[in-house]
Amino acid sequence: MYRPKMPAWKRVLMIIAMVIATVWLIFPFYWAVITSLKKPADVFKLSFIPFVQFQPTLENWRTELTLRTKEVVGGLSTSFIVAVSAAAIALAIGTLAGYGLARFRYQRWKNRDIAMWILSQRFLPPAATVIPFFLMMRKFGLIDTPLALILVNVTFTIPFTVMILRDAFGELPLELEESALVDGCTPFQTLVWIALPLVAPALVSAAIISFAFTWNEFLFAFILTYSQATPMTVVIAGTQDTQGVQFWYVSTRMLMAVIPPTILAMAIQRYIVRGLTLGAVKG
Amino acid sequence: MAIRTRDKDRSRILFIAPAILWLLTFTLFPLLYSLYLSLHGSRFLRVTHFVGLENYRMVLTDYRFWQAFRVTLTFVVVDVIATTFIGLLLALLFNNPIKGIRLFRTLSTIPLLAAPVAIGYICMIIFYEEGGPINNLLVALGMNGINWISHPFWAKVAVCIADVWQWAPFAFMVLLAALQSVPDEMYEAAVLDTVSSWQTFIHITLPMIRHALVTVVLLRTVEAFKIFDIPFALTNGGPGLATRTLTFNVYTTGLRDQNLGEATAISFLLVIIMLTATFVFFRIYRSEYE
Repeated sequence: MYRPKMPAWKRVLMIIAMVIATVWLIFPFYWAVITSLKKPADVFKLSFIPFVQFQPTLENWRTELTLRTKEVVGGLSTSFIVAVSAAAIALAIGTLAGYGLARFRYQRWKNRDIAMWILSQRFLPPAATVIPFFLMMRKFGLIDTPLALILVNVTFTIPFTVMILRDAFGELPLELEESALVDGCTPFQTLVWIALPLVAPALVSAAIISFAFTWNEFLFAFILTYSQATPMTVVIAGTQDTQGVQFWYVSTRMLMAVIPPTILAMAIQRYIVRGLTLGAVKG
Repeated sequence: MAIRTRDKDRSRILFIAPAILWLLTFTLFPLLYSLYLSLHGSRFLRVTHFVGLENYRMVLTDYRFWQAFRVTLTFVVVDVIATTFIGLLLALLFNNPIKGIRLFRTLSTIPLLAAPVAIGYICMIIFYEEGGPINNLLVALGMNGINWISHPFWAKVAVCIADVWQWAPFAFMVLLAALQSVPDEMYEAAVLDTVSSWQTFIHITLPMIRHALVTVVLLRTVEAFKIFDIPFALTNGGPGLATRTLTFNVYTTGLRDQNLGEATAISFLLVIIMLTATFVFFRIYRSEYE
């Protein structure tokens, strides 16, 4: 990277700005962490530094994880089951469609039109389908089941998996696949044995983005579940109703809800820009 | 680029069929069902009789709809302008060979994939009026606390801050990626011509990251129209209707008041508003996407 040499004062200003930006970025998480470690009496006091300003305790975490297993552990496992299943299904569907769009030329509708149509699903507000979806799930007896959440989240994440994989397949050289076809492989075998292993990074990032979006989804989860299949996002929302402003529990749940997808996000940093812009900007 | 396959169209269709069938079943069908509901009356979550456009007339003459419309539009405008501007500033700032860029980039990915509803709740703690850190700090500095939750204006500000906090890093990462792909020669040439850094920005940097900027604005516009989780968690739509967005109204009308017809009418109006916004946008920036 070429840059002219900066004067010292400019460098200092820049570093100050960077420190402010970093503090701004991590403050909410830091506050959640220390609130979860505070005794109720310390929560509403202005204290930032554990051990120095207040005595930290693991009591809140212990209560949440041992006495409230049904809510908290149940919420985490529902979120996990739903997010993994939805990501797996969306990935399977997205791989097939992504490969089809990258490699074949469709006649009746043009490839670009099909891709745009799939992409346009992201442009539809979830509120547009929430009421009919609720009625459909009620009709099939799927209210308060993980299956209802899996169905809706696959729908929301298909545009990501299709677009990410379409781009990934599109960038592979054609020769390998062509020689596989000449050797008698069917297009499906070519996809599975030749192309798929080569797009492993794209598969991982598509899977993680689908997992995270499903894990974070709230509107549908809130409407479709109430006791047996509540994922973590709904469990946090329940803290306030049942326990008033017990912020020490809100923050433990908030952290449990935020940690899994964000850890995964850091693993795919390189692909995240591309994934979240549905391939419009290369990271 | 297409490859030739021996068996013609039949098997190709099988590749895209699952995606298309899935979306027809879980998007197009619910949308049509929704249209049907919006033209019918209902009682206890059951459809009764055809009422034509009556639900739309009721919604469009309801002050709560227009209130939610204004609130949603406010959030969209603030979100798009503030996230893009802050993201661009940060990207320009961090597009420098200074230590710590990679750490900041890593940290920036965290808000992107954190659940908005969780962000809303942690912000509720931070903006809490009696004993939240912000008001505690203001009081400690000898000022008055701000009514973040109970004042209509400040409640909107709190929601906007939470939303911008979550999405400015998105704009930052996209724009930083674009800035880093600007070839160095462009800048070297500008330096040789002794152009001021502002002019370098306007004439070299901006045109090079135009595509990324347009993408950020488009995606944020689309996503911001959907806003529900943060106001739900942070202010529960209040005080009064101050932070109740259109999505929020669909939920309260349809499932709390069990008025399916009006709720689906609102959701269709939301779709129309969003489609208009994105259509206008595509008309202006069509070239970027071709």
